[in-house]
Amino acid sequence: MSRKTRTKTRDQVLIDDVRTSPVDRDLARTLRRFVGWLLLLIIVLIAASLVRRFTADRPVDYSDPVAHFKYGSIGSEPGGSLLEAAGGLLPPEPIFRVLPQICADKLPGGYAALGFLFEDGHDLPIGVSKRLRLGFHQVGLNCSVCHTGTVRDSSQAAPRIIAGMPAQQLQLQDFFRFVLDCTLDSRFTADNLLGRIEEAGIELGWLDRLLYRYVVIPRTREQTLQLATSLRLIMGDKVTEWGRGRVDTFNPYKGMQFNWQLDRLPLSELTGASDFPSLWNQEPRDGMELHWDGNNDSVDERNLSASLGAGVTPVTVDHPRLKRVRDWIWNLPPPPYPYDVDAAKAAHGQAVYRIYCQECHADHRFKDGVIDGAKVGTVEPLGSVGTDPFRLHSYTYTFAANQYTLYPESRYRFTHFHKTNGYANQPLDGIWARAPYLHNGAVPTLRDLLEPPSARPAIFYRGNDVFDPVKVGFVSDVPAANGLRFSRFDTALDGNHNGGHLWGVELPAEDKDAVVEYLKTF
Amino acid sequence: MSHTVTHRKGLIALVLLLVLVSVLGWLAWDHLLRTRPQELADDSIEEYFKYGSVGTEEAAGIPLWIWLVLPKMFPEYLPAPGGWAALGFVWEQGRELPVGFSKKTIGFPRVGINCALCHSATLRTTADAAPQVFLGGPSSTIDALAYQRFLFQAASDPRFTSGNILASVSQITKLSLIDRLLYRFVLVPQTRKALLEQKEAFAWTETRPDWGRGRIDPFNPPKIAILNVPVGDTIGNADMQAIWNLRPRAEAGRSFHWDGLNTDLREVIISSALGDGATKKSLPLAALERIETWTLDLQPPSFANFFPIDQTLATAGVEIFTTHCAACHRADSTQTGTVLVLGDVAWEGGETDSHRAEMWTPEAATAYNAFGDGYPWYFSHFRSTGGYVNVPLDGIWLRAPYLHNGSVPYLDELLERPAMRTTVFYRGFDVYNPDRMGFVAEGADAERVGTRLDTRALGNSNRGHLWGTDLAPEQKRALLEYLKTL
Repeated sequence: MSRKTRTKTRDQVLIDDVRTSPVDRDLARTLRRFVGWLLLLIIVLIAASLVRRFTADRPVDYSDPVAHFKYGSIGSEPGGSLLEAAGGLLPPEPIFRVLPQICADKLPGGYAALGFLFEDGHDLPIGVSKRLRLGFHQVGLNCSVCHTGTVRDSSQAAPRIIAGMPAQQLQLQDFFRFVLDCTLDSRFTADNLLGRIEEAGIELGWLDRLLYRYVVIPRTREQTLQLATSLRLIMGDKVTEWGRGRVDTFNPYKGMQFNWQLDRLPLSELTGASDFPSLWNQEPRDGMELHWDGNNDSVDERNLSASLGAGVTPVTVDHPRLKRVRDWIWNLPPPPYPYDVDAAKAAHGQAVYRIYCQECHADHRFKDGVIDGAKVGTVEPLGSVGTDPFRLHSYTYTFAANQYTLYPESRYRFTHFHKTNGYANQPLDGIWARAPYLHNGAVPTLRDLLEPPSARPAIFYRGNDVFDPVKVGFVSDVPAANGLRFSRFDTALDGNHNGGHLWGVELPAEDKDAVVEYLKTF
Repeated sequence: MSHTVTHRKGLIALVLLLVLVSVLGWLAWDHLLRTRPQELADDSIEEYFKYGSVGTEEAAGIPLWIWLVLPKMFPEYLPAPGGWAALGFVWEQGRELPVGFSKKTIGFPRVGINCALCHSATLRTTADAAPQVFLGGPSSTIDALAYQRFLFQAASDPRFTSGNILASVSQITKLSLIDRLLYRFVLVPQTRKALLEQKEAFAWTETRPDWGRGRIDPFNPPKIAILNVPVGDTIGNADMQAIWNLRPRAEAGRSFHWDGLNTDLREVIISSALGDGATKKSLPLAALERIETWTLDLQPPSFANFFPIDQTLATAGVEIFTTHCAACHRADSTQTGTVLVLGDVAWEGGETDSHRAEMWTPEAATAYNAFGDGYPWYFSHFRSTGGYVNVPLDGIWLRAPYLHNGSVPYLDELLERPAMRTTVFYRGFDVYNPDRMGFVAEGADAERVGTRLDTRALGNSNRGHLWGTDLAPEQKRALLEYLKTL
């Protein structure tokens, strides 16, 4: 190998035939190889870091079980793989946080106005978890969103947050409506969102900004459009509103998990809102007929099913972290009644309760795991309990059949669900904090429940957390307070009927008062 | 370079090639052909009947993951919301598949059908209850043609692509890379192709009345699929049948199927498995024999377990039955289980719709008798009868609607003149009417759930079977009450 070199002297140009030495040639070859390998290494490193970035799955964890319950992930954030994302109901965290500013007119007051609970030191409300998935900071819902409530002594007092209590203040339907509406709003543009995200002090790198603009934001819209279409009937105004503290557990499930065409179902079947239940003290409940209609007798399967409602899928669910919640609620004690109890009156109430209530509802010792009552946790036929039938009928045999295909080919596949013919007799631990009453929350207080249906309030407001220690329940005659508008509840509507459950309604007033006093000790 | 080195390199290459070929071969065998034993919940015959294989998975099975996502991908092709259950399939609590479906791994898990699909009766005591299942009874709810059509429509849809199906599967499970490749490049395209071919083979169903829930045209599909006999303009739509209590019929050599086209129970069962999609080579003969033995003494459920019977009235009905019905319908009568040829004077002018009988031609019978030649299970008892069997009436209360084509909704209506029988009704709503003896066939729920049967359509006539129609009303009540005890 050789090359010509030109050397200019004073009077001529010398042209040399320079032969590269074998050593030089070898050096050059080595250099070329080195550069080649280096380039390859750089490419591999970039690819690896991209793969790492987009396949990382890092939940934000909390060592304290209560904090985990409130803020920890159960896997409801979008997951799967970048090419085939699965699950998730909410947009990525930065978008989720600025959404109330993008559509301020749709949600004045922000998420708090919907009954989401904010605590100091957390930038997201209770019930919203964080997790890095698919290369982005995602958010998801967890158990506590529907199972954490507040109680206050008076409208001036500060609210006490009780984890595991029904979220009787939460407007979940309006929350979903807001997220769907705003994501499909004309203001949901990359410029608008990225501007708001910057204003909010959320830092996005240049790559993130690009990806948000060209991938994340368009894809969020697209997925939301699908979700909104499948849930149109449920989120519309043709069926009775859920209102604060209630959810239609199974109808969204029909649309989201099974892609049923809901507009081909009778409207009556799409009416199924019922109260959020409490989560404490699960151990003695295992094997009982769970859910309001008693359609499942396994606490674990019920938990897994409920988490589908929060947005997990068989692909994205985080079993170990769900189990942490399960282990915590297994023996979580119900909150003790926070006010004075008249012991003598309660003792009289216990005697009455034993005759009229105990067989189905067990006594105050259920909180310690004592199940004293032959029919506790069994299904009371509709003809006997006589309460509103809509929730029962919204859960059909056909739906149960579909549930058995969930978690296919795995040990988690659903096998316990079944159609029933009534509503389950609930144990009453912590019943003071579980108002309003009946499965559909159609009766505001315990004392009202002991009146005949005609004497129960026909119209009231749900969602106030000011406690009424006389009737035992929440104040229900105020349409708005503390910046919240409460849900007007009309018991004349389908699904809202307050009839039935006539046990004890014929008792003299002092017996009823005494039973209510005794129930404070549960 | 020396020869030894070249030689050695060649040898190494050869060894590598062999290893590669055997690995690929093993993978192909493992993922496409390897048969694994079925995992059933227990060893009982009932379990096998409901979920065991009759050999249909190999040629007619659908890859499990495709089967699982199809109803979610194409809900618009189902008769109602409800996934597969919308087609009337019966789902027992906690089961992965409905009754009548079997999962078998031949390379990959496949879903096929078995006898129980059409031979499991259901009953609800109220509209919103879960149905109770009675093995061996005729299904009144499943819509077999709608199932086929759903699959055809899905396969014809441009969205039936590997990408879309895998995207849908990725929502419910994480497939391994090799499974993903298998589904993407082999199973989805092959399934689509097979379904589209089957769609062609089912084109004849488009030009005649639908089967609807609880009915099937059992012998026109095999004419095309395996016998190479033209369907022509025949219509074979008929009710699914009970397979209870077959011992007396089998032992006396009586006729099976509505038209009595075969008198040998073993042949009837093997040919049914073939009709369901088994092949000559995939027929599980031992399992079919086990099912055969079990059906010999399988008993129908008793009406009295669900609804009251007026015993005095029923006793009064015995004599009426003996006089008017027993000759053809009592279990021990010599005419029971034999064919009454259409046109025979014994019909007394009351011939029922002739289509089902005319569907099974001598040509078809000859072809089926030749089909198994050379196999140990070869057929020889197929025949064309041109008539209908006098069926035994065990469990008749649960076998509604009535007549071979299911054109009469209630048993009390069969005792009325044809002009008085219902012209249009709905089949497939399995809530029972114990007074009239039959499944509720009218009203909003029946219309929403059921398929419409118009008795004026070809093959659906509710004419004929006039015996008993002239009885006095109180005699009819007594006879009906007696029939509840069978």
